[in-house]
Amino acid sequence: MTDVCRHDVIIVGGGAAGLRAAIAAVEADPEISVALVSKVYPMRSHTVSAEGGAAAVARDEDSLEMHGYDTVKGSDFLGDQNVIEYFVEEAPKELTRLEHWGCPWSRNEDGSVATRAFGGMTTKRTWYATDKVGFHMLHTLFQHSMRFDRIVRYDEHFVTRLLVDDGNVRGVSALDIRSGEVRAILGRSVILATGGAGKIFPFTTNGMIKTGDGMALAAAAGVPLKDMEFVQYHPTGLPGTGILITEASRGEGGLLKNSEGDRFLVTYDYGVGKKAELGPRDMISRAVVQEIEAGRGISGPYGEFVHLDLTHIGREKLEARLPFVLELARTYAGVDPLTEPIPIRPVVHYMMGGVDTDIDGATSLPGLYAAGETACASLNGANRLGSNSLTECLVFGARAAQHAVLYSRGSSEGNESALLAQAEAEAARVSALRRHKKGSEKISTIRRELNTTMEEGCGVYREQASMLATVQTVASLQDRASDLRVSDDSMVFNTEVIAALEMKNMVDVAQAVSVSAAARLESRGAHTCRDFSSRDDENFMHHTLCYLEAGGPRLDKKSVHLGHWEPEERKY
Amino acid sequence: MSLGTKKFVITRFDPDRDTEPRTEEYEIPVQSDWKVLDAINFIKDEIDGSLSYRWSCRMAVCGSCGMMVNGEPKLTCKTALSSYGDSLTIEPLANFPTIRDLVVEMDGFMDKFQKVKPWIIQAKERAVEEGPQHQSPEDLQAFKQFSMCINCMLCYSACPVVATDPEFLGPAAIALGHRYNMDSRDEGADERNAVFRGEGTIFSCSYANECSEVCPKNVDPAGAVNQAKFNAVVDWASSFVVKREKE
Amino acid sequence: MSRAAHPDAMSPAEPGRTRTAPPQKPASWPSHPRMRVYTLFGWTGVLYLLIGFGLLETAWSLGQGEVVWDAKLASFSHPAYVAFHLLCLVSVVFVAVRFFRLFPKSQPARIGPAKPPPRPVILAGLYAVWLGVTALFVAILSGAIFS
Repeated sequence: MTDVCRHDVIIVGGGAAGLRAAIAAVEADPEISVALVSKVYPMRSHTVSAEGGAAAVARDEDSLEMHGYDTVKGSDFLGDQNVIEYFVEEAPKELTRLEHWGCPWSRNEDGSVATRAFGGMTTKRTWYATDKVGFHMLHTLFQHSMRFDRIVRYDEHFVTRLLVDDGNVRGVSALDIRSGEVRAILGRSVILATGGAGKIFPFTTNGMIKTGDGMALAAAAGVPLKDMEFVQYHPTGLPGTGILITEASRGEGGLLKNSEGDRFLVTYDYGVGKKAELGPRDMISRAVVQEIEAGRGISGPYGEFVHLDLTHIGREKLEARLPFVLELARTYAGVDPLTEPIPIRPVVHYMMGGVDTDIDGATSLPGLYAAGETACASLNGANRLGSNSLTECLVFGARAAQHAVLYSRGSSEGNESALLAQAEAEAARVSALRRHKKGSEKISTIRRELNTTMEEGCGVYREQASMLATVQTVASLQDRASDLRVSDDSMVFNTEVIAALEMKNMVDVAQAVSVSAAARLESRGAHTCRDFSSRDDENFMHHTLCYLEAGGPRLDKKSVHLGHWEPEERKY
Repeated sequence: MSLGTKKFVITRFDPDRDTEPRTEEYEIPVQSDWKVLDAINFIKDEIDGSLSYRWSCRMAVCGSCGMMVNGEPKLTCKTALSSYGDSLTIEPLANFPTIRDLVVEMDGFMDKFQKVKPWIIQAKERAVEEGPQHQSPEDLQAFKQFSMCINCMLCYSACPVVATDPEFLGPAAIALGHRYNMDSRDEGADERNAVFRGEGTIFSCSYANECSEVCPKNVDPAGAVNQAKFNAVVDWASSFVVKREKE
Repeated sequence: MSRAAHPDAMSPAEPGRTRTAPPQKPASWPSHPRMRVYTLFGWTGVLYLLIGFGLLETAWSLGQGEVVWDAKLASFSHPAYVAFHLLCLVSVVFVAVRFFRLFPKSQPARIGPAKPPPRPVILAGLYAVWLGVTALFVAILSGAIFS
């Protein structure tokens, strides 16, 4: 019954990290076969919606040391410094490669690549392509990947489980969304590059597909998720839809104002000092929430918000540098940024946490690698600087692929019948889910309740009491999600079965987030706990590991790889 | 803010059960700031979970959610519901085979896409150490507009030639090939023009301009196709004058 | 659903793994103003075909002697003949205006360092050439010059 496909390296996820990994893998070894398995066509991956830019040292006034220091400081000193040092060195090479592959970077008059200012960066090092960098990078990577016959794509295939034999990962079981059949895709190594899980929250910049599938797959195979409590709230998302208004709008001079028209980041002390609008995201998000709590927010149909004012920047510069922001504000917020301020509020944007990997992208499960937002190497520690993540996808997508290829050469094929038995079991599980019309729980209800509890417990400001309540609620949602009603029993392109599988992944990831958050009794980076409002390096200078086990989540610690940047008070 | 109720007549098709597509009607309460996609999501979430369709980013950049709304190809996440009356007809994108409900088969499009060799072709691969190539802002403007295509395929649904000529490469694929031809860093125009003149049959384009009318990203594929025709002819004529290496 | 598109429209190189419903043409095409204009544009080809036959016939008449030729010239003032040519004139103006409207977009963004002139200039140039050539033909045929 189960179709079997054999490759060497299997990549789950077709965004920037997955595509970069695929290209790196075939370039590393002229003989191997790469499977690129994605639940959507690669050009639909959520990389496409990134707007602002990708960071790498480009100018003489800049240095690897400065980029590294900015990143470490931005991470509130939880970032692993060996990872950061490698990252800043590889960053310019990766963005140069992309330029060679055709990425339409915006240019200076002299033809060199242009850079813009970005939050938390001491100097201009963010390469950009007007304000659609993710779109251009993704399309460049996807189109470049089409040159390679040895990258075999499995478009619209949803991976349901990692196939593990003898302690090594040896493949995946993938639901072919079109036909409804489950395939066993066997290989010698697997790279997870499925992005984050913003959809566990109600207000997020993330698209529908960001449901944490890769994180859930790894956790189900016994791999710990690291630093899951660190969820980045991007300060400037549209109320209601959560659509991202890029940080570049502040980089190009946009100002944040309260209901009194006051630049509150300057008037009040929110820790960003002179950087003001160009401070790091966690601090700005907190500032916006505090302004709203102080009664200086503006009311709207989707709650309170503040204003992002671009009216003084001028039509020419806005149309040249931020055309997409103009379009988004007009289409989705009904305002014209040339003459009116844009309503914005903090929305969930990125997960610093993810599958625990080392600097090579390797996890605790031999043969399993992870890269991009799915992984936590950790480059970003407790808070990510804007424009680092796109470069992260390239740097670690490539590195994970190189190591996956090395691993593949050395590994043997597993016991195929054992692997196929696992795939058959998955096929039966999906089939049972597809016929589960009598389920007592509606998918949309579980989703709504999950969103509500995550917003209450794991918002910008957190409290022990509500975090613990969320842990309980999510645990009960996990139980209820075992009885989801699937009214669509068709085999062909059954999106309700996919939604049910994604829902199960989401509640698992949400459990890791809430349990990890409740255990961190300090405030660091994006995790701000009102009960423990300062950073506690003595007791909490470590990564949180969360194992999702049958008996419940189990926490552990992992030490931070320190280097020559000493932890200090994080002031801007 | 509530906008009362609207009726949605939606195409349904399950190949295992239906000999041909049929329609189902849904009447739902709608909000004034909804896009058409919000209504379809409401129907799936609350009324009929078996409705299948593609969507993701909801901000008009991933290209997944193209459908026919009242007979016109639209990006449903960008199309305001308030501009329609009491009843809307939602169908899968025209000119594509339908897999299920509102989901069309994209394999043909992906094939055509690949035919135009949408990547930078250079005689000698550049080393990373050489750094980024120089490209003036004017050079960038020469192709930038054509690089904005989100592959939503609305242009294929609008094009009368795509409807009648299976060989025709179609607006988005030709625009993408043209984008690379116009990129100052690319050296592969000969190869792509050979495809354009040959199996791609770009001269089938009869200048209906419908593709550019429906493009949600102002890529102007009609301009790209017709510029590409001009360039392909010039390229062919000059090949008699200028000796070229066999590709 | 409306009429079918070509059954192979947008078909993949290899058949899919599931049965598909055939491609459909948009339901709005027959009634859509833009599509009506486009269809009309295509149908004007019939007029040019008829003109082509007419020219051939006229040229043949020229070789048949003076009687036939004089009869031919007399037939030019027949009302039906004049009406047909007025229709052709309308059609030519329609085609020219549509073609001129779309012409600027087929210009490449650049040829080397040279950019095309702005759209109003291109349009002015096209109309100027067209009207100028028309005026020249009228002048020659009416005998105002070269007579």
